[in-house]
Amino acid sequence: MHNFANPTRFLAIANPLLPWIWAAALILLATGLYGALVTAPADYQQGETVRIMYVHVPAAWLALFAYGVMAFASAMAIIFRHPLADAAAKVAAPIGAAFCFIALATGAIWGKPMWGAWWVWDARLTSMFVLMLFYLGYIAVWQAVEEWDMAATIARVVALVGAINIPIVKFSVDWWNTLHQPASVFKMGGPSISNDMLWPLMVMGLAFNVLFLALHLTALRSEIAARKLHRLHMHDVGAQ
Amino acid sequence: MDFSATHIGFVIAAYALTAAVVGGLILAILMTDRARARELDRRKQAGLPHDH
Repeated sequence: MHNFANPTRFLAIANPLLPWIWAAALILLATGLYGALVTAPADYQQGETVRIMYVHVPAAWLALFAYGVMAFASAMAIIFRHPLADAAAKVAAPIGAAFCFIALATGAIWGKPMWGAWWVWDARLTSMFVLMLFYLGYIAVWQAVEEWDMAATIARVVALVGAINIPIVKFSVDWWNTLHQPASVFKMGGPSISNDMLWPLMVMGLAFNVLFLALHLTALRSEIAARKLHRLHMHDVGAQ
Repeated sequence: MDFSATHIGFVIAAYALTAAVVGGLILAILMTDRARARELDRRKQAGLPHDH
């Protein structure tokens, strides 16, 4: 992992892998969407609106996963001073925020016909909203603080404090009475939904995660280029 | 999928929103990556330092 954290080594490994990862993401997305929109049955109670689950749930999983990546990278930056750890955390944030927004927005769109309300302040929805605020706060730190080391130090703290919210999101439906339904896939005793619905959901979940990997590695390569261009610009200014 | 079902508009809206956000994210990241790679390449072509 220390070797991979070297920018040159990272690029040597990531560049040839990226086209394959993008291709895998697109194939998985196409397969997942076919299952979600064509083969999966309508729900006996919710009817066709259950199809919102195939984008809402994977987006929520990915929003939590991306925050986990951010917090892990921030911890690595503190403990091991990996040269790429802060950059890895920084570029994961906008991707995670986008998927967090998708989870919140598609949840609202699903909630209106099923609950009769776009939004309720129950524990699951509120904790996801707090996750979105942590994403925005983390991004704001990088935008607002110009000096890299100072921004990285503050951002690490925000990422690690916000990580406390991840188990709260996951277990909110167990710890409190919520309008949001409890877990039906990752729970004790195994999934409680039909296999016809489960496989498209799992494929979409995998597709979103592989897409995250493709986006994250591309954004990290881009961040390395940006830092190199910044150093070159400083070199140009110094040489004049 | 039954396009005549009640509430089908909510399903279409959810997928359209997801496609717009994911598509926008992919485009933004790819275009930024390409622009920075082009800038490094431009420096290399111009004989400026490009590997600092």
